[in-house]
Amino acid sequence: MDTQNAIDVFIKETGSQVAAELEACTRCGMCAEACHFYQATGVPEYAPVWKFELLRKAHEQRFTLGGKIKLALGIDKPVNEEDLKEWSSYVYHACTVCNRCALVCPMGIDIGHLIAGVRTGLSAAGFVPKDLEDSVQKQIDEGSPLGVTDEVYGQRIDFVDDEWEVDIPVDKEGADTLVIFSSIEIMKFPQDLAAITKILNAAGENWTVSTKAREVVNFGFFDGNPEHKKLILKRVLDGAKEMGVKKIVVTECGHAYDALRWSSYNLVDVPKDLEITHIVGLIGEYLESGRIKLKEKAFNEGTITFHDACKIQRTGGHIKEPRMVMDILAPDSFKEMTPNKEQNFCCGGGGGVIVIKDADPLRYAAFELKMDQIKEVGADTVVMACANCRLQFVDCVGHFNLDLKVAGLSQMVADALEV
Amino acid sequence: MTASFTLTPVEKGIMRCIHTSKFSHEDVRSLANFLADYHGKLLIDLSETTSEDCAKQLKQFRPMMPTAAIIGVDLDPAALEIPDSYYVHEVRHFQSEEQALAWLREQ
Repeated sequence: MDTQNAIDVFIKETGSQVAAELEACTRCGMCAEACHFYQATGVPEYAPVWKFELLRKAHEQRFTLGGKIKLALGIDKPVNEEDLKEWSSYVYHACTVCNRCALVCPMGIDIGHLIAGVRTGLSAAGFVPKDLEDSVQKQIDEGSPLGVTDEVYGQRIDFVDDEWEVDIPVDKEGADTLVIFSSIEIMKFPQDLAAITKILNAAGENWTVSTKAREVVNFGFFDGNPEHKKLILKRVLDGAKEMGVKKIVVTECGHAYDALRWSSYNLVDVPKDLEITHIVGLIGEYLESGRIKLKEKAFNEGTITFHDACKIQRTGGHIKEPRMVMDILAPDSFKEMTPNKEQNFCCGGGGGVIVIKDADPLRYAAFELKMDQIKEVGADTVVMACANCRLQFVDCVGHFNLDLKVAGLSQMVADALEV
Repeated sequence: MTASFTLTPVEKGIMRCIHTSKFSHEDVRSLANFLADYHGKLLIDLSETTSEDCAKQLKQFRPMMPTAAIIGVDLDPAALEIPDSYYVHEVRHFQSEEQALAWLREQ
């Protein structure tokens, strides 16, 4: 554990934009009300403003006269190991980096980015929770945090090909589009692979999967280590370059979409003409252009609601496409949760929180907000386009013994395809 | 056509899944969908299956399984091994139904 490493990173992370944001924060507390962990527990330390306090403190002590005077007079103490240990629980266990807090900040501060900066410092000093650290290491060593090795990948693709009677093109030369599944789908929801295959084939997409770029999740975004982020991004982008594809499609994964679509450009070389999209965006394009057609009212019974994922809908902007699907499949049974779209609450399992066993009580507490939303709308089915959210929902449905069906959007679309 | 597995309730929170004959593609898909939806524990009875089909299907279904106890077959423990990960549930092999249910109730 090296406290100075963390302080150095906090200082390094504090460029002009971050410094301006730290100075601009008025401590109004509106971010607290936006945070599902704070709302669920009422613990003041879970307020987003407190979660980036270490960054502010390091900045103040290094760059401001007031901070230096407070240090010299002993009014304030330098960031120490105890602080790092304490903040590790705030920013890894009680934050999904969902960035809902940034939406409500009257000063327009990108709070999620600041908290991610704290994670980066903690990572440099060795304060990543062990469960998460082990999963990150597994991804670095084996290519997947869930144990999808080259051999397992091949076996799962064969399994889906055989049993769902589809043909997933592997390393197909001349393909335009590279589709990269998440290992949650590969291991836990293999029917997603078949569903997405059916959609792409129905649309006549010239696509492939790659044995080199075979894992879309990027746990480097969870531990905060920039070298891990880059290494994992490079594996995907090198695979895409080698295949010569024009487009990457991220399947039902939220943070991986955020990483590839938005963050990658600041971290690694992304081929200039490479388009990066999410399967939800692609489904929307197919529907608008008539490349696929769906059976109207195919799921028009009961009450169905849609869970907006933080990284796909709030950050990614794919808000209209799921509604487009619901308008066709469930025009009468679809009901919106409140709040919804970009304002929706996180499921509570994102940002690596679901990986950390010690964070389970907090994860369940945060999900209770989601339960309230679902109960209020009276839904018997909740649909989403993120496999990590789906894993959290499935786990919580079991934990709370709820009578609720959890479904993937691609699966619904595939089941309703007009052939 | 009859499905190659049947699901019956044992008690609150535990279902019995009996594998009765060779899996068809449709059976595999149905079971995968069931496992995606099911949130309880499973008592898996493999007494009426062939060892070959059992080994093949166990390997593929293992990552999707909830907490489960397997009975009715002599099983190589390696068939249940899976890389440790946060999404994985515990699955154990037992010689008797009594032992299996006692363990499931504790989970």
